[in-house]
Amino acid sequence: MSAAVDTPFFYFPVARLLRIALTRFIVRRIFFALVLLAAVSLFTYLLFALLPTDPAALTCGKNCKPELIAANRVRLGYDKPIYEQYWQFVRGIFAGRTYGSGDIAFKCPAPSLGYSFNQHECVSTLIGKTFPVTAYLSLGSFVLWMLLGVGTGIIAALHRGKWQDRLTSLVTSIGVSLPTFYVGLLVLFSVVIWLQWLPFPHYASPTDNLHDFLTAMILPWITLAVLSAASYTRLTRNGVLEAMNEDFVRFGVAKGLKNRTVMRKYVLRAALIPIVTIAGLDFAALLGGAIVTESVFSLPGMGRLAIRSVTDSDLPVLVGTTLVAAVFIVMANAIVDIIYGVLDPRVRLK
Amino acid sequence: MESTPLLSVNNLSVEFSTPDGIVHAVNDVSFSIEAGKTLGIVGESGSGKSVTASSILKLNSGVTASTSGSILFKGDNILGADDKKIRQLRGSEIAMIFQDPLSALNPYYTVGHQIIEAYKVHHRGVKKPEARKVALEMLRRVGIPNPEARIDEFPHQFSGGMRQRIVIATALINSPKLLIADEPTTALDVTVQAQILDLMKDIQKENGMAIILITHDLGVVAETCDDVAVMYGGRIVEKTSVNELFTTPTHPYSFGLLGAVRSLDKSARGSLRTIAGAPPSLLHLPSGCSFMPRCVFANDGHSKCSSIVPELELVPSTHSLSACHLRKDALLKLTTKDLL
Amino acid sequence: MKHRIIGVLGVALAASLVASACGSSSSSSSDTAASNDTVAAGAADTGTPTTGGTIHILSQLEQITHLDPQRNYTGSDLAFVGSTMQRALTSYAYASGTEGSKLVADLATDTGTPTEGGKVWSFTLRGGATYEDGSEVTCADIAYGVSRVFATDIIVDGPTYAITYLDIPKDADGNSNYPGPYKATADQQALFDKAVACSSDGKTITFNLNRVVADFNYTTTLLAFSPVPKAKDTGEKYDNAPVSSGPYKIKSYEPGKSLVLVRNDKWSKASDPVRHAYVDSYVYEFALDPAVIDERLMADAGDDQYAVSDAGLQPENLQTVFNDDKFKDRRQDSYDPYISFTAFNAKTVSCVEVRRAVYLGLDREALRTAGGGPYTGDFADGFIKPALADDYAPNKMPDGLNKDGTPNIEAAKAALDEAKTKCPDVYAKATGDGLKFFHPDTPTWQKNISIWIESMKAVGIVIKPTAVEPSKYYPTVQNDKTDYDIARGAWGPDWPNASTMIPELFLTSGGFNLTRNGDDPAYKQFETDTKAALNELDRTAQGTKWKALNQFLVNQLWSLPGTFLKAQDIWGSKVGNAYKWASSGSYLFGELYVKQ
Repeated sequence: MSAAVDTPFFYFPVARLLRIALTRFIVRRIFFALVLLAAVSLFTYLLFALLPTDPAALTCGKNCKPELIAANRVRLGYDKPIYEQYWQFVRGIFAGRTYGSGDIAFKCPAPSLGYSFNQHECVSTLIGKTFPVTAYLSLGSFVLWMLLGVGTGIIAALHRGKWQDRLTSLVTSIGVSLPTFYVGLLVLFSVVIWLQWLPFPHYASPTDNLHDFLTAMILPWITLAVLSAASYTRLTRNGVLEAMNEDFVRFGVAKGLKNRTVMRKYVLRAALIPIVTIAGLDFAALLGGAIVTESVFSLPGMGRLAIRSVTDSDLPVLVGTTLVAAVFIVMANAIVDIIYGVLDPRVRLK
Repeated sequence: MESTPLLSVNNLSVEFSTPDGIVHAVNDVSFSIEAGKTLGIVGESGSGKSVTASSILKLNSGVTASTSGSILFKGDNILGADDKKIRQLRGSEIAMIFQDPLSALNPYYTVGHQIIEAYKVHHRGVKKPEARKVALEMLRRVGIPNPEARIDEFPHQFSGGMRQRIVIATALINSPKLLIADEPTTALDVTVQAQILDLMKDIQKENGMAIILITHDLGVVAETCDDVAVMYGGRIVEKTSVNELFTTPTHPYSFGLLGAVRSLDKSARGSLRTIAGAPPSLLHLPSGCSFMPRCVFANDGHSKCSSIVPELELVPSTHSLSACHLRKDALLKLTTKDLL
Repeated sequence: MKHRIIGVLGVALAASLVASACGSSSSSSSDTAASNDTVAAGAADTGTPTTGGTIHILSQLEQITHLDPQRNYTGSDLAFVGSTMQRALTSYAYASGTEGSKLVADLATDTGTPTEGGKVWSFTLRGGATYEDGSEVTCADIAYGVSRVFATDIIVDGPTYAITYLDIPKDADGNSNYPGPYKATADQQALFDKAVACSSDGKTITFNLNRVVADFNYTTTLLAFSPVPKAKDTGEKYDNAPVSSGPYKIKSYEPGKSLVLVRNDKWSKASDPVRHAYVDSYVYEFALDPAVIDERLMADAGDDQYAVSDAGLQPENLQTVFNDDKFKDRRQDSYDPYISFTAFNAKTVSCVEVRRAVYLGLDREALRTAGGGPYTGDFADGFIKPALADDYAPNKMPDGLNKDGTPNIEAAKAALDEAKTKCPDVYAKATGDGLKFFHPDTPTWQKNISIWIESMKAVGIVIKPTAVEPSKYYPTVQNDKTDYDIARGAWGPDWPNASTMIPELFLTSGGFNLTRNGDDPAYKQFETDTKAALNELDRTAQGTKWKALNQFLVNQLWSLPGTFLKAQDIWGSKVGNAYKWASSGSYLFGELYVKQ
């Protein structure tokens, strides 16, 4: 035995190892993320080039002669070979891009994701405007649905086979099969239009008008939360039941610990770890835009921006929103891994 | 010398209701154990030995299990006690350790945390540094090298044998009067098995606790136990001292078990012998002797075997209790020699 | 959202501006096409307008397609922007019924003076008009606005009549030698300044055209002829923040959320003979689900009592709204500006008997039912909608054509028999290899094409369908190299004159001629007559000419009239003047008022 016996915290420097592992982990993650994002953007470009829709044909109206379509193709830059379009896009991220010339020229400063000729706005500006809405929507509904899903899941597991469990199972099986669109409409119709308990939602940023923000958000939050909670109820219930069969849980009981302590320190800890992974990815996907909810409740979020770019064949916005969504997925993966490491020491040191 | 046993289990029956029907896991089981003694409960998996052990701490799933009979610990009926009373017994008077040391420790907390937690739950008001000292002492006692350093490690950082030592340390931290060890060495390799058993015996010698050792390994029984109960189909079919079990087994099933052990020893010579057939389904127990379908002696059409459940009765000229019609009718005249 | 409209409705060139055509049809009328020339706007027209309040416009769109006047070219947007923020030289009267297609002066003192038989047009400016910053609207600003139309690399989507009509030389490819104000050299700018000239006192603007355009003063109602102050022009970016010359200005504009207009206090009623500007503000609410819009308007609660929608009712709500009397004062079933049609390639189907056989045997009723039944519209009797009151007269339809739209197989077979002897080649093709039918690959047309195939089979004609990706459909059929025999389309007039219907659809120089009729023996005479009508400066005489040409087209059947398309609307109970403006087919948003 060494002299380090009396300094247990240094003998096995968990913190330091963790830090080294984490640093290496993060560096690797960032590198991986960059490669992935490059691939995602390139893939989006290629996919767009392969689409049957002609974006230039969509930009002119009644007097849409072939010459005008050709002119529009030049204006929008779709006449150039796809690799050149992509190269300009990549350069724009670092150097910004200038459109037009002379007095009426304007610049989308770096990091520029391009310019939307449909919306007359730099893509980064569009994303900057819409992202907070999606973020608030996601965050609020996420918190609600985790509380609701995990809460009912635990209740169902603790009352396995009794009416609480059966009721939960009935409600969740309905919940997971309901389409968001119709539930959203139903909620909106009943609460706002028929009963008039709330004014029609007009989104405002919470710093501008907290009241409008809350009245616009409460229904989407609840709708999204209730529908998403259903699958989390199931996950939690099954996770808890599974954990309750673990030997270490029985050992905990055999120690004479209170049920509540066993539940908290033994059962939930084990049951929630896989849920963290799924929740992280779900949350990230939501940050990329909750298309249906945003549409039904007229929230000016990124999901609607993305879906509009698809119908408009607006390549810069399409690529921009896809990239941002990809960033969130990649980040969420990394964060989930880190949280996983914190929650489960077995993962931490591998 | 007769004394009040530390624990006596009387007519214990445990049933589980499942979607398929009622599982009769334990049927009318009685035994007792005195302080300082070691009782082995032997049987195949599904024989009801683990359920019996769990019943002593009321660890069987409360929703679906129904238990009858009585379990008297120091004269008090555990089965009738409320949750609070049971919690006070668990881990302090009666401790239990489980088969798989790899899964018996909570992977999310350090071993120190778990031992201290086990100590503090029965020693309220004890400050943490003090509890830590007790835990360190216990770890040292169970043979963890350099415990000061290792107390803050997580379970997965220990080998299987070390983990079982930690489990034992946790179980014994409150000096229980009775330790229930459910296959404590099954998952370990042979040399480690011996170390763990020695450790348990050493501690038993020091503090005089009783041990109920649940195992399917007759070798372990031979090394550690004073008395043995052989379980089959949720019943005790033979109850005897270790010596008598190995010299004069009185139940056909015990013959079978011993035969399996011995032929296993000779497996290198290619004469592996096991008991033919499978244990009975606890959902549909046979109406008579549950071992009859596998019993090599019951082939002469003794109607009792298939219709009447044999009672445990003293076998003449032994100290063994055996539940077998054939034995009672003096039809079974085999000795261990026949097994060799 | 243009293609969405194409996709969903199958209505042609979605972004089409449509300045007139419809209108008059009164509330909840599903009368025949031939009826209704009266001014009655029915349910929409009640009470005396009062001032004040806020009108809400509920929209499923993410934004106004274009606020930039030179880029604005859709009926609803033109009516909204024109009646609130952008003035032009001339306008249509702010009135319901056919009165709404009457030409009136706006920035000009009158509706313009043609000289040289309509080759030169001049307008005298009224004066006194100001922008939202208080500066005066000048003749130079109007000329500058028109010049922006030539910057086709930036100012896109708008009408290009200025390029077509103004007397500025074009190169061999037909592109103007003037590239617009942003890139023009001094020499190039001089070309434009010669074509569009302001008098030295700045009171008169003169347009020199390269041809006679008898109705050029209708052209100038388009916002492409609205003023833009050069100093405020931001090119591409002007679209989100144009300078107002009308009674309202932008308070806030957030595409995807809302556009809020408030009164422009620099606007004076004295300078504007057209607009009344009753309400204090407008709130355009974007990105609403169509189902939500309908539900809000039906519920009529709170602010929604002051709301209209810029799109019609959803088909699933038509029964509810039109069968319940509680909606009777705030619903309308009226024509939109469009006519749908099916064009033959007159080169390959050069036999009027075959074309007539198709018309007689086609199950038009089944097609209409597939599209939604009578609410989609009435069977068209030509290529001029009744709302073009000066130009419309009921046509004599081919003998044997069933009025109820059902097929007349016997008559069709008889016509086909005639073709057998008169034009055996086309007959052989139609009954043998079959006629190639190009249609957009939309759900509606996937249904329609099988109705076509089945009903033609009954006559003995073979249809060979080709489905084209919707965004590529019109470019495909407008390409001379595409070898279709039949194609479909829809068209609405740019202003209330058949001059924007018949020449566009049937002259070889027309903007949307799918018939390839240039070699048809009847074409020469048709062209001569059409040009005569175009050059006719007397509006009544011109109308008579269009009526005769419309009948000629029904006889000739280069194209089969389809449906006079309709739209259905509901609005909030406190909205006044909710009539459909004849010149746009949409509400005249600037004239809406709040009922007390």
